[in-house]
Amino acid sequence: MSRHAHKSLVFLFLRRMRMPLVILISAYAIATVGFTLIPGVDDQGNPWRMSFFQAFYVVSYTGSTIGFGEVPYPFSEGQRLWTMVSIYLTVIAWLFSIGSIVSLLQDPAYTRALRRARLAWKVRNLNQPFYLVCGYGDTGRMLTSALTDRGYQVIVVEHNQEKVEALEVVEFLAPVTAFCMNANLPDNLIEAGLRSRWCTGVIAVTGEGHVNLKIAISATLLNHKVAVYASADTRNDADNMRSFNTDCVVNPVEEYVRRLELAIDKPDLFRLYHWLNSGPGARLARSTPIPRGKWIVCGYGRVGRAVYQLLRERGMDVTVIHPDPEQAGCPHGSVIGRGTQAEELSAAGVEDAVGIVASTSDDADNLSILITARALNPDLFHVVLENGLSSHALFRAAEPDFLGQPSIVVAGTILSRISSGLVEPFIQQLLQLNNDTGRDALARFLRHQNDHPPEFSSGRISNRRSPALARALSAGQRITVGNLLADPSNWRARLHLEVVMIRKQKEDILFPPDDLPLEMGDRLLLAGRDGEAQRLQAVLENDQRLEYLLTGRDRQQGLFWQWLERRSSSHRSNG
Amino acid sequence: MNMSKVVFGFFVLLAVTLNFGFFIGDIDNPQHHDVYELFAALVVSLIATVLKFGERSQMGAILLASSLVVNLHLLAAAVVWAVAVHVMEVGLTPRVMASIVSLSGGALLANLVSLVLLTLDTAGLSRK
Repeated sequence: MSRHAHKSLVFLFLRRMRMPLVILISAYAIATVGFTLIPGVDDQGNPWRMSFFQAFYVVSYTGSTIGFGEVPYPFSEGQRLWTMVSIYLTVIAWLFSIGSIVSLLQDPAYTRALRRARLAWKVRNLNQPFYLVCGYGDTGRMLTSALTDRGYQVIVVEHNQEKVEALEVVEFLAPVTAFCMNANLPDNLIEAGLRSRWCTGVIAVTGEGHVNLKIAISATLLNHKVAVYASADTRNDADNMRSFNTDCVVNPVEEYVRRLELAIDKPDLFRLYHWLNSGPGARLARSTPIPRGKWIVCGYGRVGRAVYQLLRERGMDVTVIHPDPEQAGCPHGSVIGRGTQAEELSAAGVEDAVGIVASTSDDADNLSILITARALNPDLFHVVLENGLSSHALFRAAEPDFLGQPSIVVAGTILSRISSGLVEPFIQQLLQLNNDTGRDALARFLRHQNDHPPEFSSGRISNRRSPALARALSAGQRITVGNLLADPSNWRARLHLEVVMIRKQKEDILFPPDDLPLEMGDRLLLAGRDGEAQRLQAVLENDQRLEYLLTGRDRQQGLFWQWLERRSSSHRSNG
Repeated sequence: MNMSKVVFGFFVLLAVTLNFGFFIGDIDNPQHHDVYELFAALVVSLIATVLKFGERSQMGAILLASSLVVNLHLLAAAVVWAVAVHVMEVGLTPRVMASIVSLSGGALLANLVSLVLLTLDTAGLSRK
């Protein structure tokens, strides 16, 4: 398709150039023939006529406005007359053809096609793994910068010209190619490299749910090797996507409510979960338990409704404030209004409430609700929904107790899943833990990390992935999880790395103890400081380093040094 | 009737006829081969080439290719003529004339291919 588009561009150019070229050739032909026909006089005064060669020579330098003068002999008046005709003829023909080329090059349709062809060419020549990010809103922007930070190339498909232009001036650590086109059309996705063998993952995070659904379907059908991550607006869409094995589906509302639920039921586990699933810029949340009592929910949209149900399930007394309670199907006893006025909040009983949820779809309203409610009741617990990141500074300044940012929720959840296929089962099992185990797990991570969330990576014990370790294991050596985590440059110290899950053939072991022996075929999920996993990988591939890790001794390389080592150790045992 | 088809057919045919007119005659006799006819054949063939630009069909591609071959031959003939008369100044000896005419003969062959293809194309069109 893309090659086709590129070819049609050449054809378009040639076809548009037909008329100018025909005119140019005709003008030259007429001028040349004219010169051969007009009689002249040579230097001896004999009648003389130009040959075609001489005529074409004269026309060539006249037509290009170089003008050498009258060669080979001074022209007769008749020849001069014809020279004038041929000058106007050829110069006008040139102007016409150059004009058509310029107008073609400035034609917006043509330049757009040219640009797309160039980008498509670039995509075809990619030879490194890349991610295809569809939609460059807040979520797409976070994902793009996080993926490029990890060294992946990214191709962005966004139909909004302004967003594409904004992207082009941002510096990324890896090349980012931006297509300005509609991700809804499968042909466009193919042009953006969906079928390329380097396409590692497709991330559908456009603002519209049905577009994301369509992208997920296209990606699954057109390239079955690619991993698909998508954000879904409704439960319906999400279930639909999961039904055809989309690798990761995030429904921001569901995810937001899940986090709030965790925060109510298992506050420490919530802190861990939120930290691991909010992108590389995440901070560890403060541990503030969510109070029980009377709550106010402002806005009864998708988020408001889900939060209302959650709070009711937890046995709390909830009052809803909505501009049109009947229309939105609010529960009985709801207050009419947006929640930004003190009267509305008082009517909902803000004075004796313990918490307020500002979940309208307008960020300014949400902030206003927060500030007004705080003035009326300073002890309120604030849960605020931040719809777009454009007013993030204001939200930070307002310091709500619990902030929901759909774009960060989506991007963070997708990012943690991208690191490894083991993250999803790990998170699922993590959520089953009780709060105390969650607190211990968090403490384990905090041994290595300061505020900054750990980076996930995974490894497999196999001949191909970890040859040195596989050789040692098949030689019958006992190697434990603790052995692996020793620092390769100082074996008494420990890497800033944690094995958080081992997938054995039959079972998954969450947070394996240090003395658990490793077996062939184990898959390890690691989490730790950035770059620490690479140091471990080097050990798994190199026999000497692995031996140092296990014994604390450097094995010498080369026969001479090994002989010397044997000699000194036998001396030591003798002496 | 399609005007662009008329123009196209006209130029392709004219290229063949002019080329044939130049080619016919004793191969080494300058009296039988007129320089104006060679020039006309070259110009018409160039225009025919340009008219074939941008055709997407397989037929269009072969037509364009044959036209390019014609141009190459006729240009070579013109260059041989100019070099012999103006640069080397040996004049139109039978040897030079034979070389020019044989080059135009090659061009004629490619032109005939063009003509046959065009005829086939038209015949195929009328059947539909």
